[in-house]
Amino acid sequence: MNTIRRRFQPEQIRELVLIALIIGILIFFGTQIDNYFSPRTFTRISTSVAVIAVVAVGQTLVILTRNIDLSVGSIVGFTAYIVGTILSINNDIPPVAVVLMAVAMGAVMGSINGLLVAYGRVPAIIVTLGTLAIFRTVLVEISGANSVLTNELPRWLVNLPPVNAFTLGPLDIRLLFFLAVVVVIIFQLVVSYLPWGRRLYAIGSNPDAARVAGFPAQRIIFTAFVLSGALAGLGGFMFLARFGNITVVAGQGIELQSVAAAVVGGVNINGGLGSPFGAFLGAILIDVLDNSLIRWLAISEFWRDALLGLLILLAVATDTVIMNRLRKVWARHELQVSGDGEPPAEKGGAGYAA
Amino acid sequence: MRKLSTIILSLLVISSLLLAACAPAAPAPAPAAAPAEATEAAPAEATEAPAEEAAAEATEAPAEEAAAPSGDVIVATPGQAVKMVLMPKFLGILVFDQANQGAQEAHAELGNTDELQFLGPTPENSVAGQIEIVTNATTQGVQAIMISNNAGDQIAPAAQAARDAGMTVVTWDSPIPSAEGEQLFVAQVDFAETGTVMADMARSILGEDGGKFAVLSASPDAANQNAWIASLQETLTDPAYANLELLDIVYGNDQSEDSYNQALALIDKYPDMELIMAPTSVGIVAAAKAMQDEGLCDTVKVSGLGLPAEMVEYTLNGCAPEFALWSFVDLGYTTYYAAYLLATGAMQGAEGETFEAGRMGTYTIEKDPTRDAGLRIVMGPFTVYNADNVEAASK
Repeated sequence: MNTIRRRFQPEQIRELVLIALIIGILIFFGTQIDNYFSPRTFTRISTSVAVIAVVAVGQTLVILTRNIDLSVGSIVGFTAYIVGTILSINNDIPPVAVVLMAVAMGAVMGSINGLLVAYGRVPAIIVTLGTLAIFRTVLVEISGANSVLTNELPRWLVNLPPVNAFTLGPLDIRLLFFLAVVVVIIFQLVVSYLPWGRRLYAIGSNPDAARVAGFPAQRIIFTAFVLSGALAGLGGFMFLARFGNITVVAGQGIELQSVAAAVVGGVNINGGLGSPFGAFLGAILIDVLDNSLIRWLAISEFWRDALLGLLILLAVATDTVIMNRLRKVWARHELQVSGDGEPPAEKGGAGYAA
Repeated sequence: MRKLSTIILSLLVISSLLLAACAPAAPAPAPAAAPAEATEAAPAEATEAPAEEAAAEATEAPAEEAAAPSGDVIVATPGQAVKMVLMPKFLGILVFDQANQGAQEAHAELGNTDELQFLGPTPENSVAGQIEIVTNATTQGVQAIMISNNAGDQIAPAAQAARDAGMTVVTWDSPIPSAEGEQLFVAQVDFAETGTVMADMARSILGEDGGKFAVLSASPDAANQNAWIASLQETLTDPAYANLELLDIVYGNDQSEDSYNQALALIDKYPDMELIMAPTSVGIVAAAKAMQDEGLCDTVKVSGLGLPAEMVEYTLNGCAPEFALWSFVDLGYTTYYAAYLLATGAMQGAEGETFEAGRMGTYTIEKDPTRDAGLRIVMGPFTVYNADNVEAASK
């Protein structure tokens, strides 16, 4: 027990619990749905989780600083639509430039949020609710009611969704899913090892202490919003590639999905706790449930949302109960250790700021 | 998914509050409550009904305006001043812009000396926005409003207030279910005919030996979608369609991503399904794209109601060999005539009245069989599109 305590932090165990939950759910549906354990199911879930995972990573960066970015749904829709329109006018833009354009467009919109929140000191929820509506309205106005259509887009983009990055035995790892995993890994490393990443936690855990300690809190929060916008822009590109036909309502609701993925994945909405990897797991958990329920013949269309909500509630409630137990055990242990005059066990990453 | 996320978040908030009460150390994601509530009123139900660019077969002949009232047919007197508003479900969807084109055409044709405004809410604010626009129009001296209702019966009090203030209220595309506050509904097609058109397309695609198919609809509470599906089911009871089997009805909520996922789920659930019928312009393209991405266009076809401009690629490559629609330009045009006649007092809006709507010909007001209290006119017709005529219509 002591070795476990020394090696793992509650947050890491939480991620293990989430993985166990996902496996448990997969096993359950495996008994319910014919041909469930097939490469096809993997492809379905991995491709549909890709967009939301990328956006949820950006959302996590912002939530870690005790803020929230509700504008991402509109940013995804805006970049998907505008990049799609530009591409349908000029089919010859190289793919890399297209991706960069989407990311840059998202970053610019994110910087508007960042400026207002970090330097204008307006609460993030108000700023991003405002920009959620503003970005969408601007899109509606400039769209002139036209949609982006697949037949106007370059072939490489329309044919992108079924492209594999590589195959792992019978499993196809789609390029878009691979891209999402790369994003998750990069940002997991950033928040774990880079000073900028560690400071996100410091600011979220205790903004006053972070200020006293001399962290450039404003700049860090600003950057978090810019990155969230940039990742939403990347999500917009992936959305465009996946669905092809883009209307002005594209991406609506992604803001809540990304928050849900982060929260289910153990990112504390009050900041300071959680990780991009956790948000990724949260996105997978929700998506596995969603994709399995629409294939489960035993329940009707109308009960699906309710059942999905119930299952997520159960998952999170179990998770929270276990986490609280674990935290107490850890805390008691540390008290004992420090009471014995020994140095406390290494605290590792997240600490228990909550 | 949007609705779903709202549910998830609400549940999370509740759960966290409960847990926080039991165990003070629980991290409580309370601020999430605000976003969840804020977006709750956003059931942006996109257009159920596709349209085409200037109707393929509609002749461009301008109406003879000088015609004197002959017999029972009520004819509009041009040149009167009527301040009018055309309101779509929300802005930013092509079919509603096409309806506006048609209304503007009629506006110019009738030489209305006042203005015709195209006012609509933004997609995430459709219900509240529509009610607000009706209420504002009442106080701003607007004389006639034409509504594609997306607010169910919630809009009825505002529409009734507009009526009480002497305004003309005409609905088009989607009526007020209770018909309260509404004088006339300009129906795009006879809702009962929609089922026959869909069943005929299914039979034509699946061949004489028939087959199994599923319906991909918009949202479970869209009145016109449900009427069309009911009419399809009714048609299928006819022995002539006995070899068509409807497996399932699923809902994509008129969002590309939901519709796409539902289409994929259908092919997983029903390996012997041969056709997806989507009576919504968003659902039909999403389903066609899904089949194309899966490389299944040879085994699972897509059909339903769609826009030629959006469907041309899939029709030509065989994913969606046939689909149907009506003209939203004509719908806007016809609606304008009806509203103009009612607002100028030339027509009373009583059952049995016959009027001339410019180039569209004459219509007679009748009881709406789908609503107890409503009156309607039926525009029609359907145009069925296939590889032969879709390219011309998509231009």
